[in-house]
Amino acid sequence: MQKKKNKAVDTKMTAIAVSAQLKKGKRPRVSKFLIYILCIILALLSIMPFLIMVVNATRSTTEIQQHALSLIPSKYLIDNFKILTGKSFNPMVGFMNSMIISVCSTLCTVYFSTLTAYAIVVYEWKLRKPFFTFIMAVMMIPSQLVSIGFYQFVYKIHLTNNFLPLILPAIAAPTCVFFMRQFMIPSLHLDIINSARIDGSGEFYTFNRIVLPIMKPAIATQAIFSFVASWNNLFLPMILLTRQDKYTMPIMVSLLKGDIYKTEYGSVYLGLTLTVLPIFIVYFLLSKYIIAGVALGGVKE
Amino acid sequence: MRKNWKKITKKVMAVSLCMAMMAGCLTGCGDGKSGGSSSESGGNSSETQKDTSDTEKDTSSSGEKKGTINLWAFTDEVPGMVDKFLETHPDFEYDVETTIIATTDGAYQPALDQALASGGADAPDMYCAEAAFVLKYTQGDASSYAAPYADLGIDVDTAIKDAQIAQYSVDIGTNPNGDVVALGYQATGGCFIYRRSIAKDVFGTDDPAEISKLIGGGSGSWDKFFETAETLKGKGYGIISGDGDLWHAVENSSDKGWIVDGELYIDPKREEFMDLSKKLKDNGYTNDTQDWQDAWFADMKGEGEKEIFGFFGPAWLINYTIAPNCGGEAVGQGTYGDWAVCDPPIGFFWGGTWLLANNNSEKKEAVGEIIEWITLNYGEDGLQYMWANGTLNGEGGTKDAVASGAVMTISDGSLDFLGGQNMFDYFVPANDYANGKNLTQYDETINQYWRDAVRTYTSGEKSKEEAIEAFKQNIKDNIDIVVK
Amino acid sequence: MKKRRNKKISYAKYGYIFSIPFVVTFALFTLYPIIYTIIIGFTDLKGLGAVSFNFLDDPFQNYKTILESQSFKTALGNTFRLWLWNFLPQILLALFLAAIFTSKRHKIKGQGFFKVVFYMPNIITAATVALLFGSLFGYPMGPINDLLVSLGILDKPYFFMQDKSVARGVVSFIQFWMWYGNTMIILISGILGINPDIYEAADIDGASGWQKFLYVTLPNLRTILVYTLVTSLIGGLQMFDIPQLLVAKSGPDNATLTTSCFIYNQAFSGSYMYNRASAASMIMFVIIAILSVIVFYLLRDRSEVAERKQMKKAKKEMKQKAKKVGV
Repeated sequence: MQKKKNKAVDTKMTAIAVSAQLKKGKRPRVSKFLIYILCIILALLSIMPFLIMVVNATRSTTEIQQHALSLIPSKYLIDNFKILTGKSFNPMVGFMNSMIISVCSTLCTVYFSTLTAYAIVVYEWKLRKPFFTFIMAVMMIPSQLVSIGFYQFVYKIHLTNNFLPLILPAIAAPTCVFFMRQFMIPSLHLDIINSARIDGSGEFYTFNRIVLPIMKPAIATQAIFSFVASWNNLFLPMILLTRQDKYTMPIMVSLLKGDIYKTEYGSVYLGLTLTVLPIFIVYFLLSKYIIAGVALGGVKE
Repeated sequence: MRKNWKKITKKVMAVSLCMAMMAGCLTGCGDGKSGGSSSESGGNSSETQKDTSDTEKDTSSSGEKKGTINLWAFTDEVPGMVDKFLETHPDFEYDVETTIIATTDGAYQPALDQALASGGADAPDMYCAEAAFVLKYTQGDASSYAAPYADLGIDVDTAIKDAQIAQYSVDIGTNPNGDVVALGYQATGGCFIYRRSIAKDVFGTDDPAEISKLIGGGSGSWDKFFETAETLKGKGYGIISGDGDLWHAVENSSDKGWIVDGELYIDPKREEFMDLSKKLKDNGYTNDTQDWQDAWFADMKGEGEKEIFGFFGPAWLINYTIAPNCGGEAVGQGTYGDWAVCDPPIGFFWGGTWLLANNNSEKKEAVGEIIEWITLNYGEDGLQYMWANGTLNGEGGTKDAVASGAVMTISDGSLDFLGGQNMFDYFVPANDYANGKNLTQYDETINQYWRDAVRTYTSGEKSKEEAIEAFKQNIKDNIDIVVK
Repeated sequence: MKKRRNKKISYAKYGYIFSIPFVVTFALFTLYPIIYTIIIGFTDLKGLGAVSFNFLDDPFQNYKTILESQSFKTALGNTFRLWLWNFLPQILLALFLAAIFTSKRHKIKGQGFFKVVFYMPNIITAATVALLFGSLFGYPMGPINDLLVSLGILDKPYFFMQDKSVARGVVSFIQFWMWYGNTMIILISGILGINPDIYEAADIDGASGWQKFLYVTLPNLRTILVYTLVTSLIGGLQMFDIPQLLVAKSGPDNATLTTSCFIYNQAFSGSYMYNRASAASMIMFVIIAILSVIVFYLLRDRSEVAERKQMKKAKKEMKQKAKKVGV
């Protein structure tokens, strides 16, 4: 649309010079219409699987096995719920366990990652560069094998059936640190910190009271990612939590699937639907930071 | 790697507790809107709950218990049986604590292996293994953990004879020293399960004996089967749903397993499966479905591209797979009541669960009591009688073929679903045809590569030689055996 | 431009203090597994429950085996192909959407809704996504086949997942579909992090939306773009669950076998060849590291580099001057 036209513009000119020469008067009407079309198509693509999931939660296993995809709800919702709750485990417990793990690990991830990024961006210390390189290197290690060694380690220190090994490692989240650093560099001005120092603010206080609010959009973004990842995490909890009262929601859903002769698809989908709900809530709560752009209250003075 | 971790453990614990508290504090003041409170309770409760948990259910049975038996399973089938055992044996002196980990996503085996290897109080005393990986625990890498049934106080040889346990099941459960270490409660010998209405339409009879003859039941050859397939095709029917249905029979009929003397070996009968599969596909004898996919299930209801005559499978396939997918719940609805069972051309078995006891367990006698009740008791108060007659959870439950031939002879295997036929008439002999000696612990993986290779051949992408070559390459790259 | 001044009071110790939680946690929960991994890559450790191991006479034997293995080569090729075909459309679409949603001129109605919805595919587990797409392309019965046959485009059902390029295409599409919303959110938060003053200045100068995007947004977004590229590269080259779950065992003729699937197969598909698996992951680590360094180098902040060089130059000159004066 507009792109081609502007290709002609000499890209080497600075923004200001160019904008001074060109007058406004583009017509966003047509492009806006196309944008809406694109957005609607993408939205449909995104909603479809959820629709199928919710519809399937109301269908019987047999119906699903024969036609996995359908948009017509059936009448087995209550039966599926009975199967889900009729097993030897309690979905409410799973829900709470998942909540505890996900909320704690998310808080750990965003708080400590921001702190670590702050250390890298703001302070001049000798090991700063090597430390950052090191974090980058950690990020690149394929995760499969780390998890093997990790769970052997957890077994050795007898922390199985405990939530700590699923929460504490979240403190060291290299990807999140990396993101926070990348975000902090353009948006955090040292002037603010300096003026805080002049006002007599301690370093830790400055971080908590001044830096964290500035980082809100980044924190909200990473909080969503971290929450989703932790909430959907299946493999590690499945290996580390073997007692029924410690099971997380995804473990319970996978148990429904794991029955050798009969997978209770109806209740699996119901379980999946219930599993997705909290993520929705968290997402909606946090998305206002991303969407509204309350971002830069701290910078703009 | 296995250094002296105990010393470090304490330090680690201390540090990690500090960190947890720190995390609680910091997050509390940092951003405590959504979950500050729950984070604190979470960190601590997971610590304190550790030992007080899991007592609600098990203390219900009377009196003081001597200890706890750890049971590991991948479904709640065996735990349900054990509950029944505890219910019918109030004097049993142990509690049972159950760990269920689904086999989906491959989590059960690593967790079980780890638990067996690390030992201690949390180690399983009793564990289950599925046909797909039981060999690993009875004869393969993990066989050293399996306790011989004889050590559990079971007079195993006599009991097997008395209960008439199928030989294939015993063969699979026998370790390299010749001791029985695992047995199942089910019998999974397979038959041919066919539609009566189609049989009448094409052959004018639905008598199992006649149909057996027509498909070459018990003949050990597929010739008659393919002749009949041609006849069925003439009337617009397919004989089976896809080549996967044939595979279990072919696999189990081979003389040798995939590995001979540590080397990959392709048994001529398994190699022949390529031709059989191609023949099925090229002639359109099937709907070309894959097992456990939508279209496969649809054929059970008679709603595929063309109607399908039958499926190869054991009793559980009838009860848990065909019946729920037949499109009805009483005679006259869907294909309910339109089925019958007859001999397959070649004997085979498919699936099953075996029970093992941990060699390092200190409660072997008690574990033995449970295992004997489940796998070898052939009386009317044993598990298998209830399992065969569908009375485990009250009258009218699902009937299944059981390991003990003795139980099946005194049980009633007639099902409305099979038009009143007593399925045990065919499943008892089927168990004797099944072969438990051509398995290896890598079968699950190797079979997948083999089926993939066969598919590239039948679809015409590769020649037979190329497909076999690619198969060998895959095995060489992924499994630690010699490939020539 | 904004930092690295004011060094009068040394705050350096806080750099160390604030890094402690990360370092301690990392040392506890990640370092051990990684060291373990690296070490066993040079040993004969394999087999279930294996505890003891010996270092190989030829320490790189496992590495040689992997590099010679046909499956690994296939996997490497697949991984790059699958990543490229999902990353290119993903980043372009995400950039476009982010620009539109943050643009003050376009005022898209319901953009809050769209932003929320676009991220949704990312919140279902990969297993579910694989299941849904698997049945979508089901053969011989499945919605796509039903549709195409009833529209007369196909005369009989087509076995999509047996077709190598379709299988790869579907995997790439799923990856694209699952992640573009995520990338978009990252970019949006990056754009929102740009100091509004710059935009205001551009507005005053009468810059058009496209100009602002090109000359303000993109340059200021560079660090976030590097982040996206590097994390996507790292994530993409470790692509595992969709290829593993969508088509049984890595697709027709290994068409969707990725290196992570390969590593997983080495370790878990029967033989527990931990040593080879760890060698393979080290190889992947090196490949990813090299590529990441290249990305960093190509997208480095040139003005910053130049600035630093000038600083050095200036310092040198100062010194030289000082010397001269001294002489």
